[in-house]
Amino acid sequence: MNTFADRFSTTTAASQLRHAQKLAEEEEFDATMWGSSAGFGSLTKGVPTFTVPAVPDPTAFLRLHTDDHADPSCRIKIKHGTTTLAFRFQGGVIVAVDSRATAGSYIASGTVKKVIEINPYLLGTMAGGAADCQFWETYLGMHCRLHELRNRERISVSAASKYLSNLVYSYKGMGLSMGTMICGWDKTGPAVFYVDSDGTRLKGDLFAVGSGSTFAYGVLDQGYRWDLTDEEAQELGRRSIYAAGHRDAFSGNTCNLYHVKEAGWTFLGNYDISQMHYEGPGDVPGAPGGGYGYDIRVEGRNSSDPPEEAAAA
Amino acid sequence: MPDMVSLAQPQQRQFNPYADNGGTILAIAGADFTVIAGDTRQSEGYSIQTRYAPKVFRLTDRAVLAVNGFAADGNMFVKKVRQRLEWYRHAHAKDMPLRAIARLIQTMLYARRFFPFYVYNILGGIEEDGSGAVYSFDPVGSYEREACRAAGAAQSLVQPFLDNQIYFKNQVPAPGMAHPVHLPLSTVLSLVIDSFTSATERHIEVGDGLEMYVVLAKGSTAIQSLSTVRGIQEMTVTEDGERVFVIRRELKKD
Amino acid sequence: MDHFPTNWGRPRNDAYDPYGTYPIAHRPNNGPKDAFADAVQRTQQPIVTGTSVLAIKYKDGIMMAADNLASYGSLARFKDIQRLQPVGAHTVIGAGGDMSDFQYIQLMLDELIIDEFSAQDGHTLGPAEVHEYLAQVMYARRSKMNPLWNSILVGGVKDGKRFLAYVDLLGTTYSASTLATGYGAYIAQPLLRTAVEGKEDILTEEEAYKILEQSMRVLYYRDARTIDKYQVATVTEKGVYISESRRLDTNWSFAEGIRGYGAQTQ
Repeated sequence: MNTFADRFSTTTAASQLRHAQKLAEEEEFDATMWGSSAGFGSLTKGVPTFTVPAVPDPTAFLRLHTDDHADPSCRIKIKHGTTTLAFRFQGGVIVAVDSRATAGSYIASGTVKKVIEINPYLLGTMAGGAADCQFWETYLGMHCRLHELRNRERISVSAASKYLSNLVYSYKGMGLSMGTMICGWDKTGPAVFYVDSDGTRLKGDLFAVGSGSTFAYGVLDQGYRWDLTDEEAQELGRRSIYAAGHRDAFSGNTCNLYHVKEAGWTFLGNYDISQMHYEGPGDVPGAPGGGYGYDIRVEGRNSSDPPEEAAAA
Repeated sequence: MPDMVSLAQPQQRQFNPYADNGGTILAIAGADFTVIAGDTRQSEGYSIQTRYAPKVFRLTDRAVLAVNGFAADGNMFVKKVRQRLEWYRHAHAKDMPLRAIARLIQTMLYARRFFPFYVYNILGGIEEDGSGAVYSFDPVGSYEREACRAAGAAQSLVQPFLDNQIYFKNQVPAPGMAHPVHLPLSTVLSLVIDSFTSATERHIEVGDGLEMYVVLAKGSTAIQSLSTVRGIQEMTVTEDGERVFVIRRELKKD
Repeated sequence: MDHFPTNWGRPRNDAYDPYGTYPIAHRPNNGPKDAFADAVQRTQQPIVTGTSVLAIKYKDGIMMAADNLASYGSLARFKDIQRLQPVGAHTVIGAGGDMSDFQYIQLMLDELIIDEFSAQDGHTLGPAEVHEYLAQVMYARRSKMNPLWNSILVGGVKDGKRFLAYVDLLGTTYSASTLATGYGAYIAQPLLRTAVEGKEDILTEEEAYKILEQSMRVLYYRDARTIDKYQVATVTEKGVYISESRRLDTNWSFAEGIRGYGAQTQ
């Protein structure tokens, strides 16, 4: 009888609760969310959960409201990353990226970290949606750690990249946007895998991703050899990002350079692209001395800027 | 190409759950302090809805959050962040550190990846090492620690000014001199006020009032330059730790 | 995935423009829209609608006004509808937008007040609480893409404090000493601001009433979805009082003198 009264009365605690739940049923919180794992949010569950708008076609909804570089009237701008490259050679893996983020034609940031340090042996790069790359590669880092705890050995680059590609494939068509290279050193030696939000996963020696990738490939392809020395390889990465930053409007600001070796990755430095144009990367191993700009290479060889002797004559 | 237009699925005119409520927010980190500011105008289209709707909120004694974009989403987001911070206090008997709040905000924003909060967040405060810090977010949760950031309607007016005055972009120091790494609090406050008065002059969605929150690290000497500030109000809750102040100023109302 | 940033982050829709050749000009317009302007929705659209609600703060409390019309499109369908509603002992709400949604809101609020009364815990809900409750309900419904199609003013006095705030179908809220919804936001709000701002603590009940009456008259002259019959609610420390319907005195003789537009150009 009591339960019957409980169920239909409007003034008991149970009914208040029912009422509150009816009004706010969109989110349910379990104990783990405010217990010791507070702060991890949707990551506490095995699979992150997402709110999806209650419309017949959620994808069309997202398409209507979120970012589009070509259509400034989409007001929810999602930051985009742009030129990234990574290549494998005898000395490990070189990872080089630019640092520009654009929202339409506005340069939203010139100091973006597009290399995501998944763990001391694995790097991921960011092209496409900045949040997608940051979030999922952090999430990948958690699972790489779980793999270590379960199997008492580090995850291979191949397995890590496959984990990521399977993950993003399950969201295919929903609007995720990432083009990433998972780079590292495992039992097989240096490894680079390209993974994107379409679900593509490719093993390879050399990749460039983003709007500046064509320019980067131009420099990269002509300078690439397997037996590059460490210094030559680092310089090639820097030079390729410089080329993309110089010719692609969506890329630029600075270049971040990483080198993955057997003992894990090291961060080599941050190089200003304008400074590289005029003065070069500074006193670093492999640098040719002087700027990368072509005006330095044609100095004294055209009529408006004649050689010194000719000018004196 | 017109053929493709007709091929498009019947696009129903749908309820638009978003609005743009204008306004601008800004944060600058110093060596041992952070200033987080926002104007107080809330508008939709050409109408000013109110001249006082706060966009900057004290979260803890060392963290202040500024939200900009769709006001209803912003207010709801702040409410949910505060709820999570309270849960953290109950579970751990301390306030959540700033970098943890930043990550929390990322996961909370990303949980709505497919139905985003139309909110640009800037989180400012003091890190555990006592340094001033600013974290800026995009609507779906990508974030970055920076020294300064402007967001909202007048971001494209204010950010270049800050790049020049804070990062000394395109400035060459006098021979034998170097640009300072960190600016003093008094300089930062004047830069913030100048940013907002100028944005008010050139942007219709900015104006009415200015709220500047100042977070000071424990034992910060910047406290001295606050003693002379007109109408300053302390918001600190806990003893001997970081301190939070708010400074309010009028902006033009036209 | 290609290397055009233009194509990134947009969910796929293979049925339509797979190669990104769709002209930008023809993309679905996503620009700022007035939420009421021919916004048709899957689950509903406003059918029987009320227009503006006006409210101001004055010396002893707040005063709110709304006319008695519920329109059906351009038809003046119901001419004796009350759009002001007391909620508890300290609060009044006034609604524009869909009247059936407003009736549902009234039902919810009645239930809320009854529950609060039944608790007999010595607490009563004031205007701030009612407004917060409404804001949460409205925002939750918009998040379910099933909004309650209203813009509502909530006003009241409790514990010596005046309260006046707005909430609408999107969950947007704000507070000010003068508020107006619908066309009132464009036509009456400037008049109200001029008359009230800075004088909130001076204006008497008579003066406040005069200001609202004059604003209702101006609205009646220009907003085609009004009638000249309206009610005024006052909330003071003593409680809520909603007036009987009143008629606006109007004078149309000036129309004779209008020249320069319409059919009559000279």
